[in-house]
Amino acid sequence: MTSAELFKQYEVAEGTWDEMKALDDFRGHYQRVLEYLSHVSGDELNKKEELAKSLFMSQGVTFTVYSHGEGIEKIFPFDIIPRIITASEWSLIESGIRQRLKALNLFLSDIYSEQFIVKDGVIPVELIYSCPHYIREMHGLKVPHNVYIHIAGIDLIRDHDGTFYVLEDNLRTPSGVSYMLENREITKRIFPDLIPQNGVRPVMQYANLLHRNLVSLSPRPVADPQVVLLTPGMYNSAYFEHATLARLMGIEMVEGTDLVVDNHKVYMKTTRGLEQVDVIYKRVDDNFLDPLVFNPESTLGVSGIMSAYRKGNVTLVNAIGNGVADDKAIYLFVPDMIRYYLNEEPILKNVPTYRMENPDEREYALKNMSKLVIKKTNESGGYGMLIGNSASEDDIALFSREIVANPRQYIAQPIINLSSAPCFINGKIQPRRIDLRPFALCGPHGIDIVPGGLTRVALREGSLVVNSSQGGGSKDTWVLSD
Amino acid sequence: MLSRVADSLFWLSRYIERGDSIMRMLKTNYASSQDLSSGFTWKPVLTIFSDMEKKEIATMERKGRDVLIYMVTDRDNGNSVYNIVTRARENARSVQDNITIELWQCLNNYYHLVKDEALERKLKREDPVTILDSLIKQNMIYYGVLDSTMFRGEGFSFMNLGHFLERAQQSINLLDVKFSDLSYDLEKTADITYWKHLLMSISGYNLYLKTYRSGFDARNILHQIIFNMNFPRSVLYSLHHLEQNFEQLKPHVDADSYHQINFMIGKLRSKIQYSNLDHVSKVGLHNYLVGINEDLQAIGNALNQHYFAYS
Repeated sequence: MTSAELFKQYEVAEGTWDEMKALDDFRGHYQRVLEYLSHVSGDELNKKEELAKSLFMSQGVTFTVYSHGEGIEKIFPFDIIPRIITASEWSLIESGIRQRLKALNLFLSDIYSEQFIVKDGVIPVELIYSCPHYIREMHGLKVPHNVYIHIAGIDLIRDHDGTFYVLEDNLRTPSGVSYMLENREITKRIFPDLIPQNGVRPVMQYANLLHRNLVSLSPRPVADPQVVLLTPGMYNSAYFEHATLARLMGIEMVEGTDLVVDNHKVYMKTTRGLEQVDVIYKRVDDNFLDPLVFNPESTLGVSGIMSAYRKGNVTLVNAIGNGVADDKAIYLFVPDMIRYYLNEEPILKNVPTYRMENPDEREYALKNMSKLVIKKTNESGGYGMLIGNSASEDDIALFSREIVANPRQYIAQPIINLSSAPCFINGKIQPRRIDLRPFALCGPHGIDIVPGGLTRVALREGSLVVNSSQGGGSKDTWVLSD
Repeated sequence: MLSRVADSLFWLSRYIERGDSIMRMLKTNYASSQDLSSGFTWKPVLTIFSDMEKKEIATMERKGRDVLIYMVTDRDNGNSVYNIVTRARENARSVQDNITIELWQCLNNYYHLVKDEALERKLKREDPVTILDSLIKQNMIYYGVLDSTMFRGEGFSFMNLGHFLERAQQSINLLDVKFSDLSYDLEKTADITYWKHLLMSISGYNLYLKTYRSGFDARNILHQIIFNMNFPRSVLYSLHHLEQNFEQLKPHVDADSYHQINFMIGKLRSKIQYSNLDHVSKVGLHNYLVGINEDLQAIGNALNQHYFAYS
């Protein structure tokens, strides 16, 4: 069967926005890809899929699952058909994210100093102090260039009419950017010439932009500051990403045991003795960073690093305590933050969200559980989540009890359909639900958003959950230049 | 350079060299087992490369295929090629940002090859030489990729230290085991095939033929493996390169440790360079080899103490 025939059989689910197909017509921005694929047989697509897998494997783009003492290499599933975003869609996304990050950064700076937004009654104070990621040690601390969010991953979804919504902000240690980079490299290999034919904007400058920002954050005024990436180590599922980023930036990748704090300065242990470290791009969760301040059981962190940070002798990226801004209960107030700090209307909408602390909204949610998504406010990665229309009675009862007991810890949102995109699955082109995580970099000179991002796919038919821990995969994500 | 990184590079390189020695040894021993089926034993291989007890060796020493599987694919044998390559690759994985992407991919491919479950079945049923050759080729690719892509500097020097330290030790171990069969008697004659296989197992046969025209004898064999500077696996050659590579580290490490270790390496190199077979036979071959081995271990310990200790 030819690909053209495979695409003819493509059927979009009712009430869903599909990225490629509107009613009976294929959208204009997919035409060139369809034309290219019309000369490729289904067999060849299978081969391309195999090639993609073997490239991921041989390049070590894998994570390791350990069982019976033996490591098993796993590939994060990759779908070969790219997801395409038009120039005008991108310009909306870009300006929306830029606006949102400006406001979120101002919020962090405010909440860890004067707290005007609380005093002016825009955000209830109890919401801040009840947030486990509000870090008191950050209060009154000046961070370089007043930037808290150096790296953000903003998750976007599209409703049935194609409107973009922000689903969540990831402002602590957003991951997945290496897949944005690797997916593009793989596409170049499996579909030769297709990328230049389509005028796809490049993404490979990401690491250089990040490196430029990291260097500019050095507290010591030296020409060649010591910038390192702190990884929890080889057994972390994102280890490949840490290694890739360190390599692409030419910086040292360190583990907690490589660092030591002396007299409020951070040093790394080298063959020459101790060398001072200026900037740490940390990929260790805040909670494990310093056993003296946070989780005392942590062996991944460095004792005393918070004191060095507070003294201004080392810059941590992202800043500590950003979790207060991407808490799901605070998320609700981001549009208000945009109005409050920037005096602008939000460009990108929030998904309507019900606060369970508010009795009216809670009552509504408890009555309409089957139409809602319930999320724990401090969880991510698809954990602590209930999707009402596919949940069991028992789960609904359990979540209902939990909501009543701890209303602060839950929010409810209507079930958003998520747009679909064509995927090559079991020899057929089939629609699957997707989201989009563009990566934004904030530095002293402003905000850069690399045109693209990580498109995550819910590979299970009918599933709305795209997280990799829940059977999700990813796609190369194209932003067209015109 | 981070101490942990230097440590991993050093060991990555040692493991690769060790795997190389093991596979060459397996290959020629297998070949010689096909020549003299009745008298052949795998005892020396198992003595050098495994932690087996004498009794266990006795039960396995004449079962060639079992030895091959034990030495190549066995998951529980810490010295199997499988485990050695896995450790080399784990070390590489933890320092991916300090080696070239080409080198990383080469090790990663090697790892996937050695992990292939079909390997054991093939070792049991098919021609073992083909399988060993396919693995040895991975080592050759590794050395080629290392030489043509790896950036020179501190990391490369630490890799070479591991490489030549391991190589010197492997050659010493080989001599010790092979000559223990002859009770370390340099005048004792052995079967030509005995020497021939010994030389072939460390890729020294051709050089021997060209250098020592008088035929096979213990003194010439010893000369080649200990003193011959044209033989890339001789102890002296390895020491020479160990010394050169260590000197490259001078600008990267502190002066005290540099002088201390440079002295140790230089002393050992001179000790070998300015001795000869008469001297060796005077102190006794076994004592001589044990002495060198102790010095090599002391150098390894000093490197560890000054540059790698990080916890």
